[in-house]
Amino acid sequence: MAEKIAILGIGMTKIDGAMRDTKLDDLVFDAASKALKDASLTRKDMDGIVIAACDELDGRSISSMLEAAPSGSYLKDEIKVTDDGAYAVILASLRILSEHFNLSLVVSWCKMSEAPVSDVMRMRWDPFYHRGFGLNHTATAGLMAGAYLHKYKVSEDISARVVVKNRQNGSRNKNAHLQKPVTLDEVKASPIVSWPLKMLEFAPESDGAVAVVLASERKAKELGRQPIWVTGFGWAVDSYYLGDRVLYDSPSLRIAADKAYKMAEINKPLKEIDVAEISDFSSYHELIAYEGLGFCGPGKAADLIRKGVTENKGDLPVNPSGGLLSSNPYTAAGLFRVAEAYLQLVGRADGHQIPGVKKALAQASTGFCAQGNAVFVLSK
Amino acid sequence: MKRNAAIIGVGETPFTSRQDYTNPELSQQAALKALEMAGMTMDEIEAVVYSMAPAEFLGVLDPDKWAVGAVGGLNKPFMRVHTGGATGGSAAQAGYYHVASGIFDSVLVVGADKVRECKDSQQVLNTIWDPMYERQFGLTTITMAAYQAVRRMYKYGTTEEQMARVAVRNWANAMNNPSAHLKGKITVEDVITSPYYSWPIKRLDTCPSSAGGAAIVIVSEKKAKKLCTRPAWIKGCHEIANTVFMGDQMGGAADMDYADWDELAMAAKVAYRQAGIVDPLKEIQVADVYAPFTVTELAIVEALGFCRKGESEKLNESNFFDMDGEVAVSPSGGSLCNNPIAVTALCRVCDAALQVLGKAPPKMQVKNVKNAVATGIGGSFQFHTIMVVGSDHN
Repeated sequence: MAEKIAILGIGMTKIDGAMRDTKLDDLVFDAASKALKDASLTRKDMDGIVIAACDELDGRSISSMLEAAPSGSYLKDEIKVTDDGAYAVILASLRILSEHFNLSLVVSWCKMSEAPVSDVMRMRWDPFYHRGFGLNHTATAGLMAGAYLHKYKVSEDISARVVVKNRQNGSRNKNAHLQKPVTLDEVKASPIVSWPLKMLEFAPESDGAVAVVLASERKAKELGRQPIWVTGFGWAVDSYYLGDRVLYDSPSLRIAADKAYKMAEINKPLKEIDVAEISDFSSYHELIAYEGLGFCGPGKAADLIRKGVTENKGDLPVNPSGGLLSSNPYTAAGLFRVAEAYLQLVGRADGHQIPGVKKALAQASTGFCAQGNAVFVLSK
Repeated sequence: MKRNAAIIGVGETPFTSRQDYTNPELSQQAALKALEMAGMTMDEIEAVVYSMAPAEFLGVLDPDKWAVGAVGGLNKPFMRVHTGGATGGSAAQAGYYHVASGIFDSVLVVGADKVRECKDSQQVLNTIWDPMYERQFGLTTITMAAYQAVRRMYKYGTTEEQMARVAVRNWANAMNNPSAHLKGKITVEDVITSPYYSWPIKRLDTCPSSAGGAAIVIVSEKKAKKLCTRPAWIKGCHEIANTVFMGDQMGGAADMDYADWDELAMAAKVAYRQAGIVDPLKEIQVADVYAPFTVTELAIVEALGFCRKGESEKLNESNFFDMDGEVAVSPSGGSLCNNPIAVTALCRVCDAALQVLGKAPPKMQVKNVKNAVATGIGGSFQFHTIMVVGSDHN
């Protein structure tokens, strides 16, 4: 990438269960204004706004109508993606690279507590072939996990250890939704939701909003900032039809990661990346992502867990924030990954800070069984 | 230096009430048409932007993910853009930024809608409103347009006859457009005597609920020069978001008035500056505009700088906006004659680009088009998109 994208600041609301006293508008405004404050900039400085939201989870058919203003969009060039929040970073970056924009605010949110989540997920399936099976996000995750289990014979302990690790990490993150660690036995004893996945192997349903301020390289220098740089990003999508997919693998993630690594000139991700924040919607999502991201070869994710490579003291800590398994504001989850990677790089991750982070990775996924994937490499 | 990008392929399916194709199938039909015009195959497309507005009409909430294979998106960068009615205009701009970023040389922007798939589109459109304050009033897009009509009546003395003339012209233009959903010789009398939906908006002041797909192929300068003798260069584009609250758009404290579209005028100013357009009336030959109601077109042509505020009603009584007038407004019949919501604004881009490419259907083609402009509107008439395409680039 000839030009880099700068991150000048981020804003996060507390991630929680049902935030009944907070209107969606207030949540969005909170995140957007925190990000601007963090970047020492104002709404007036922004020349573009990119938001990511899901109508159905927001309970309104054009969710940006009311939320554009608290996102800072009044009389600004504002555009919305309906994908994971991290896709808004992609579009904002493309807009900045086109030289039409210099300073962009990226905002995403979700209040899962107010949405009939399972119904929304079921309605995402086509009515002809899939919907009749009652498939939703948890049922499909079970199919994916089952395919991986069948292919690589992972023990029950391995996937449970992913949960123990991330929940332990989440307990050090004051912003996380679930802050109580869990034991291996508790995970294994939790009821099966969608075989082989048990209740504690799934991300919770959370409320939260997050915003990020992006700038062109030129603008960041002009402002005299020493920002965090997005040095590479890539995204790709797989087939909708589960029967057409190899569910134990994630080719779209491989493609996205390869593009991001190429742009950021990364050859050995496991060695070169210091911390990764990835989309662990279930324990198996994290295992499959290790392979898609090239942290290990096919079927070798269990080795990384066994050796503790992805624990905070390992070679490549994964999800020190606790990941989705601790906090999952669905649509915004990927943008939270980018924001958490940023916090690690600027050394502001408080209780879950990994020392000496120079390069960080963020990964977002969208659709059933991580149909679409986006990968970002951030560096100092 | 900014990178140039151009539209070299345009595809629109016929727009109908038909229900016998799925959303991915309609998108695929449009994509194949656009690729055929561009002289390209799906394999040559590097990234896809999917244009999809509220999915509740369709009843399948992630049609973009469903359509991945149908539009050749497999293993490619793929994203869905959704800004309500403005979605197609936003998606076209997102596609442009993909190419202008320097990362991609060829991008497909595609989508489709089936507005009639639901029981009542206005019932869905009631749920676009804020659940706390506005939904209970029974607000829909029709009542929202009625407010604008009343506001213009109050401010400019607009009459129902003057609004009706907009429908008469668009329906007549649509007769030259094989893709148009509604078309025909109608009279002011026909419009005036059609039943009221929400006073003063009547049935024939209103767009149809259409099914159909649209697509464009956007390529880099290098590719455009290689593949196309007369590309439609994207010379300027902008979008803008206003407040959702209509009540905040009137009275002394308001920044702008609901009768006018000053926010579109602001966006046009930016797009014109990028395109090097100083005098829009002289330099732009065609405007294909997103006017789902007759009254909205009156506000748009003013915001685009073709005349002053409150003048469009009178000018529309002459041939000013006709095919042979000062500026041809919606030679395609515009959104009054097709409204597949997810791609309506993309249709406007398609129909503007066709004019520059010289590939509009014979009777729809305006002669010697150097610049054409396309607009989109979404939300409570709060999101506006504008794109200027032209036969030369900066």
